[in-house]
Order: sequence, then structure tokens, then C-alpha cells
Amino acid sequence: MKNLTDAEIIESVKKGNVADYSVLIDRHKDKSFSMLKRMLKNEMDAEEVLMDCFLKAYNNLSSFKFDSKFSTWFYRIVYNTALTKLSSAKRKIENEMVSVDDLHLLKSKYEADVLINDDAAVLVQKIVNELPSKNAAVISMFYLEEMATEEISEVLKISVSNVKVILHRSRNLLREIIEKRNLLQDVL
Amino acid sequence: MININDEILNKYLDDDLSADEKLKVKTAIENSSELQKKYDALLKTNNLLKNMEPDSPSLDFSKLVMNKINIKTSTARQQKYFLVTMLSFLGLIALGITGYLLFQILSSVQASETNEVVTTYSKNIGDYLSSMFGKQNISIFGSILSFVILVSAYFLYEYQKQSKKIFSN
Repeated sequence: MKNLTDAEIIESVKKGNVADYSVLIDRHKDKSFSMLKRMLKNEMDAEEVLMDCFLKAYNNLSSFKFDSKFSTWFYRIVYNTALTKLSSAKRKIENEMVSVDDLHLLKSKYEADVLINDDAAVLVQKIVNELPSKNAAVISMFYLEEMATEEISEVLKISVSNVKVILHRSRNLLREIIEKRNLLQDVL
Repeated sequence: MININDEILNKYLDDDLSADEKLKVKTAIENSSELQKKYDALLKTNNLLKNMEPDSPSLDFSKLVMNKINIKTSTARQQKYFLVTMLSFLGLIALGITGYLLFQILSSVQASETNEVVTTYSKNIGDYLSSMFGKQNISIFGSILSFVILVSAYFLYEYQKQSKKIFSN
């Protein structure tokens, strides 16, 4: 079962083998949880939203027509549910473009803080966790899920060039902080 | 001469440039220690991001989701059976009433030679149905039917309430 593709598992679930859905959950839970945790900045909220997403996906599995990959379809559910959660909690939602101010704040915080003694890998994790929701979503999908920018644009419903702008800005921010903190020698 | 800014370096890293542009950027990086340092930093940052480990939800997460799905599936199945039973019951009653009405219509028409056999059979069925839904029994049937519908509606309402409670948890 574990060697089957997502599409084959979905076919099996649609035929009535409900238990096979657990394979899909096991396959996608960690990466989607990481994205949610970074978007919502809260582990418990992330788990609650993820559960909701898997239930939504199961309920709508009959409408999944295999036009796109399951992961793209599922991440669209995850992203939209996260946005709903953020708006219901009256938290800030970024505009269509990258919120540059937030990135500047993050940059100055990590460049100036002398109390941070983390190595480069830990520091990167920390900064990614604090990125604005949309940047965090793009970084998670690009690096963890290894999705193409075209797929990410489909999930976020923004243009490919906008996805690239968000990706490049986030990457540049990390590079500048790591450079400033002289952590490059640690990295292979 | 190409202006090598952060955007171009990122595109070069992502292999998002034309062959001609790639060559120009490659040459520029090789000829400038500052650009080389910048690109090296970007490459290392990219590697750090690539090596990020995903987080995991709680250990029994999959089990919890599957439990919710199983509860939902079994509830939906029970609701389906309940609905089918109710519809079958109502269907049978509707069939009985139709048969009775049919008999009333047929008995009011003068029997001809061609429909004599049909009339005989339908008369027998009609007699049976009319005795069943006759003046004496119809009020009993009506009462039973009303009672069954009321009880079913109550249980259906309670069931829906229970289902909503399960899914909201």
C-alpha cells in the first residue's frame, strides 16, 4: 500500500476502502503540519486545523478529478483553512504582495540580538517559523514539499512571478542574517 | 552588460535564466569576489532550507482522524438505512392507497369482455384493500400511520442532533 501513488490510494478509498485513507494522512501530515505551524504560529491550532483539512479532503474526495496532483489540491485546502483560521482569530493576513515591513522587522531583530547563539541550521528554522504567513507557506511548499513555483501559484492563487518574489525575498532575508552573524563558515 | 542584483542571483540559483544570461552571470561571479561571496552565501542558505526537517503532529494524529472518519461513515450508513426503511414503509402505504383508488375507478366503469379478467382480479384485490381501508379500519390505520410518522420524526431529530454533536467534537 505504501508504494502506491496518491491517485491509486484515492481510487481505493473511493471504492470503499476507507482505511486506506490513513496512508494518505501519514504521507502528507508532517509537511502540511509544518506549513500550518509556521502560518498560524501555534502548534495546537496547527494540529486542529490539519485535522479539519483531512476531514474536508475526505468529504470532498468524490469531487477530486485528478486534474492536478493530490498534494496541490490538498495544500489548497490547507492554505484556505489556515487563512480562515487566521481571519476568524482576527489576526493579520498579508496582502497579495509580500509584507516588506515584517521582513525588515524580522531582519533587524535577528541581526541585532546578541543573545542568540544558535548555529545556522537552528537559526534558519527559527526565522522561517517567524516569517509572515504567506512567506512561510511558500518556503514550506518549495523546500519541504518540493513543489514547483507553478504548483505553489495554483495553491495560493497568485501569479508565478509573485511566488518567485516571495521566495527570493525570504531567501535573501535569511542570507543577509546569516552573513551578518558570520554563520556561513558553519554551513557546508 | 547585465546588472547582477539579488533577483538575478536567485534566478541563477533556481536555473531560471536563459542560456545566454546564465553564461553572463557565471562569468560575472567568477570575476568578482564580492559577487562570488554573495552567491556562495545564497547557495548555503538554499542548502540550509533544503535540509530543514518537517515537524510532526501528535503521535496518534492519524488514528484520531481515522476515528472521526469512521464515526462519520457509520453514522451516515445508519442514517441511510433509516431513511430507506422509512421510505419503503411510506411507499407500501402509498401503493395500498393507489390500489384502493384503482379499484374504485375500475368498479365504477362497466366491465367489458376484454377487461373482464383484469376486473375480476382487481376486484378481489380491491375488496381486500377496501376491507382493509374501509370505514372501520381507516381511522385505525390513520392513527397508526400518524403515530409512526411522529415517532420517526422524533428519532430522526434526535439522531441529527447527536450527529451534529459528534462532528462538532
